[in-house]
Amino acid sequence: MLRILRDLFRHNREFAVGVVLLTAVLVVAAMSFVSPYPPNDSFVVPPDLPPSWPHILGTTSRGQDVFWQLTCAIRNTLLFGFTVAILSRIFALAIGLVSGYAGGLIDRALMSINDTFIVIPLFPVLVLFYFVLRDSMSWVLLALVMACLGWAYDARLIRSVAMSLRTREFTETSIFSGMSTRQILLQEHLPYVLPIVFSTTMNNINWSIGLEVTLSVLGFTDINTPTIGVMIYWANQHTAMVAGIWWWIAFPVALVVITFIGLFLLAVSMNEYIDPRSRLSRVAA
Amino acid sequence: MRVLRSVAAAAVTVLAAACAFAQGSISDLPRNETLIVENPEGTIKNAGWFNIWAINAGGQSTGLHQLAMDTFWYIDPERGLDGVWDNSLAADKPIYNSAFTRMTVKLRKGIYWSDGTEFSADDVVYTIQTHLKTNGLRWSAPIQVNVDSVSATDRYTVVFKLKKPNSRFHALFTVRWNAMWIMPRHVFEKAGDPLKFDFAPPVTLGPYVLHAYDPNGKWFIWQLRSDWQRTAIARYGKPGPKYVAYIDGGPPDKRVIAQLNHQLDIVHDTSPEGMFTLAKQSKTSHGWFKGFPYAHPDPTLPAVIFNDQLDLFKSRDVRWALALLIDIKAVSMASYRGAATISAIGIPPTGSHPDVYHAPLESWLKDFELDTGKRRVKPYDPSVGKQIADMLRASMGEQIPADPNQIAKAFGRGWWKPDPQAAQELLEKAGFAKRADKWYTPDGKPFAIKILVEGESRPVMTRAGSMIAQQWRQAGIDASTVVAQGSLSDRRNAGDFEAIIGWSVETWGGHPDLSFFLDSWHSQFVAPPGRPQPPRNWQRWSHPELDKIIEQIRRTGFDDPKALELGREYVKLAVREMPTIPLMSYNVFTTMDDTYWTGYPDAEAQPYTNPVPNWANTRYMMVRLRARQ
Amino acid sequence: MKGYSVYLLGRLGQFVLVVFIGINIAFIVTHATPIDPVEQSIAAATQFGSTSPEAIALMRQSLSELYGLSGTRWEQYSVFWKRVAAGDFGPSLSAFPTPVSALIGRALPWTVGLLAVSTLIAWVLGNLLGGLAGYYRDSKLLRFAGVLAMAFHPIPYYIVAFVLLIVFGYVWPVLPISGGYMMNMKPAFELPFIASLVQHSILPALSLILVGLGTWFMGMRSLVSNIVTEDYVTYAELAGVDQRRILVSYVMRNALAPQVTGLAMSIGGMFTGAIITEQVFGYPGIGTLLVSAVHAGDYSLVLGITSVSIVAVSVAVLLVDLLYPLLDPRVRTR
Repeated sequence: MLRILRDLFRHNREFAVGVVLLTAVLVVAAMSFVSPYPPNDSFVVPPDLPPSWPHILGTTSRGQDVFWQLTCAIRNTLLFGFTVAILSRIFALAIGLVSGYAGGLIDRALMSINDTFIVIPLFPVLVLFYFVLRDSMSWVLLALVMACLGWAYDARLIRSVAMSLRTREFTETSIFSGMSTRQILLQEHLPYVLPIVFSTTMNNINWSIGLEVTLSVLGFTDINTPTIGVMIYWANQHTAMVAGIWWWIAFPVALVVITFIGLFLLAVSMNEYIDPRSRLSRVAA
Repeated sequence: MRVLRSVAAAAVTVLAAACAFAQGSISDLPRNETLIVENPEGTIKNAGWFNIWAINAGGQSTGLHQLAMDTFWYIDPERGLDGVWDNSLAADKPIYNSAFTRMTVKLRKGIYWSDGTEFSADDVVYTIQTHLKTNGLRWSAPIQVNVDSVSATDRYTVVFKLKKPNSRFHALFTVRWNAMWIMPRHVFEKAGDPLKFDFAPPVTLGPYVLHAYDPNGKWFIWQLRSDWQRTAIARYGKPGPKYVAYIDGGPPDKRVIAQLNHQLDIVHDTSPEGMFTLAKQSKTSHGWFKGFPYAHPDPTLPAVIFNDQLDLFKSRDVRWALALLIDIKAVSMASYRGAATISAIGIPPTGSHPDVYHAPLESWLKDFELDTGKRRVKPYDPSVGKQIADMLRASMGEQIPADPNQIAKAFGRGWWKPDPQAAQELLEKAGFAKRADKWYTPDGKPFAIKILVEGESRPVMTRAGSMIAQQWRQAGIDASTVVAQGSLSDRRNAGDFEAIIGWSVETWGGHPDLSFFLDSWHSQFVAPPGRPQPPRNWQRWSHPELDKIIEQIRRTGFDDPKALELGREYVKLAVREMPTIPLMSYNVFTTMDDTYWTGYPDAEAQPYTNPVPNWANTRYMMVRLRARQ
Repeated sequence: MKGYSVYLLGRLGQFVLVVFIGINIAFIVTHATPIDPVEQSIAAATQFGSTSPEAIALMRQSLSELYGLSGTRWEQYSVFWKRVAAGDFGPSLSAFPTPVSALIGRALPWTVGLLAVSTLIAWVLGNLLGGLAGYYRDSKLLRFAGVLAMAFHPIPYYIVAFVLLIVFGYVWPVLPISGGYMMNMKPAFELPFIASLVQHSILPALSLILVGLGTWFMGMRSLVSNIVTEDYVTYAELAGVDQRRILVSYVMRNALAPQVTGLAMSIGGMFTGAIITEQVFGYPGIGTLLVSAVHAGDYSLVLGITSVSIVAVSVAVLLVDLLYPLLDPRVRTR
């Protein structure tokens, strides 16, 4: 395994750049644990300083150091995005594979549930959760709620692939060779849908982080936990865009962008590696 | 690739064509005859509805209540054009009998509705009787509770018979932000159910009529009546703007941009930072104060409102301890960047109040002593206002006044000196205990406080709440803020909170009478826990001494100086008991642009009214505004 | 053909079921709001004035009666379905007595107009670029375009919109930044009005396209790069079929099916509006209505908007399912 990664790192430039970028982001996130300032306290440094030493990314109008705020914010945002993504991938894979493979009544029942989740509009549901959960609203709970709401569309996508896999010869062969349904799904079908899972993971993380920012901008958020959304929320409260405190917004956004470029490059190179066909084409070339 | 090129070409063509059309934000109206004002209500859901007597159905401060409505009297939150009190539709002040059970109103003659019908006592009687008959109109309940009968003794005299003595009944018809407006009888009589009538276009008593409006509720344009001389405000001359547009300003950043582009003459409110940006980048923009702190102090008193019915806050020692843990200078910086007018007492430091309450009580406050259980301390620090000014002078320089009177006016006088030692003694006196730097309640639970803040709609209060939570946290109390958004009023009314940053004190501003809020603080109105609390005693606090003060005020006339003495008694009681921690006035960053109009009210030269444009009182601004070009 | 009609019937049944369950969940969710519309109205009516406490109690009682909120949940539930059967959602509680359907009807054309156009443009552009990028994988330019799209994609929409607003509304003020058309204009089918309409929609549409583009680009790119390695493409290449023809008829056509699904879902999903777009650009639409209804506890209006959206998305899903076999010949109905 390690050797594969090392080879990838050496020979695949995209993989290498992706790894470097993501490592940088993770290092920044990890630095939140050694932050000299409590993330929630304001007016610990002079406000509104442009980027300069020792506040390398400047300070906010709330008297916080942008860099150290950002370490905390990116950590929480990444945790949030990955929690949502991983949980919702598990739901989507289970429902999608079973539904596509089983067909018939099971398919219809599962797809009815699935479609119900697709058709219910997110915003009113999320805001209601915010109002009902009230003081106990936190990003962990928000992540759980969003994972429960964010799998249905991808389950449909996976199902459609599983349906076409079902008609392939190798599935028939597996059935005749006496493999159980679970074995077929996990050993035969799963590898084929993994590329989709990877690309939807990216979209899902992007979606959940985007929604977190939207909810924050609208103020439906726990403002005591720094995330990228909460940073933008506070910047907004201080009209940072017109007040010229651009570093309060630009750096958080830049870090999110770096994260996604890293993830993207990683996904592209991993896809090529996992997908047996494109690996062959690489060998041929 | 060819496809791409043609797509790009098409996009560029569309963009160029669109940009080629004339710029500007208003079509077909001369900009130098049009005043553009932000309406903080934002987008009006139901734009075509102008029946202001039906609750919530349409917009209010779309120009409707500023320019189209009228009623008997106005009290100005500042000095007024001709004194604080203005007789508008009434020819004189209210005339009560000695028992305060009858109020007679003499009406002004020669006032006409915009459709040419003369205004008379019939309209007033019709308005009152409709509210007596119909449930669910905006003023049905107060009329039904107070009025026994109403009659017109002649065409210009109305007599109200009251169900019980009420020396403040006229307040219902006295505009402070708004008041009960008079309906046109000849229109509503034919309209059927007054709850289902849209009153479009409105027949007005004010000097303007509706010119046009956006069905999507983004803008409303009003036009000066050709017969404006037949309206009550004509006494002060001809209104300057021929057209007034009230618009949805969008997010705060955008309002700043709109004014920098000279597309928005009056910004209702923005963040302190937005205000500083405007002051820096636009030579023509200014606030209520010409320089720092810019903002207009509204006669409203943001405070830390405790839920005094909770065991946690039942002891005044706890409330006082929490007050002594607040550093108001930091709160002022965090919320308003220093542009706040602080107040240690339960009266907003605005309008007539500093002269009537803050200045005379200063020496009493200096001598005020607090018993911490171990010793007596004098918590008042009279120099806090000056300290804030000194702190700001470092970065703002000349803008910050040095004259003590001006400092007191702009930044307030004193406040409580942060005193963690005294706070600790007070908490220990109340049975709290500190272990390992954390406070525990008398029953051994961690001392935790959730502070409710409104969020987006009141950003400055959210910022103040975060700072106070931080200060309490640093003292070992587990404090944090919760953004309540739309649920704030429900939770506040239901008593479903520990502390709120909000206000339970609002006054007339210009007039020193306190009944506007104080009457509702009587213990008779305090709801038991779990039941909804009527406004404004959100802290659900009661005190026998307070009841006595209120009952005496009820028997005292509106302009009787004895009422002011009673008001000062309330202040002293509230200082001793600390039912809420008063912070500062609600400062509104109303910014005015001189590019097209001049003559706006300001703090120094002409404080004739409050510039905050959603107040119905701002109609007085129109007669002073003059076109620049 | 018989197989298809059985499938059709079953699928239609599923459609009805999904709509029914969806609206029921929406009913439960909207009515669970802790915000009481009566309290909101009282707060609005008494916020700035002085109203005596007895009067408030009276007001509370008469408003509950007026809004028809006195019944139990079950009664409200049956009233709701009766109203739906009669074709409306009853009066709004935050703009009483205006019907919910009138409020939705006023806002919906703006939302549909803006979102349908910008979604379509983003879809066409994204797929075109994504297809090219997936096919010509060695093109430096297209690889760079991929990274660029990826870089643009995760920028929070709010930031994109606001930067556009500052650039074209302030730094280089050539475009209007507020409203759906110029103030004091009367909506009419005339050139000045239409020009104003287009002018006002450029920035909102542009922001939506910029952000939407990435998703389609990425999706198409990965689909195409998968298909390119399929045997039949290699055969076609070996057989010397024209490259452009391979790209269009062999590759893109087969990759299109999932993208059409996505498009249908986006179109269906636009009925809750583009909240941030509307807020930033002051553009009329259903999103602002939804947010203000949520704040005001106006569950009639929230439920109305939600129901419209549920039906729209369900129809989109249904259409996708019915058309999928036609788009992708490999998937046959079972």
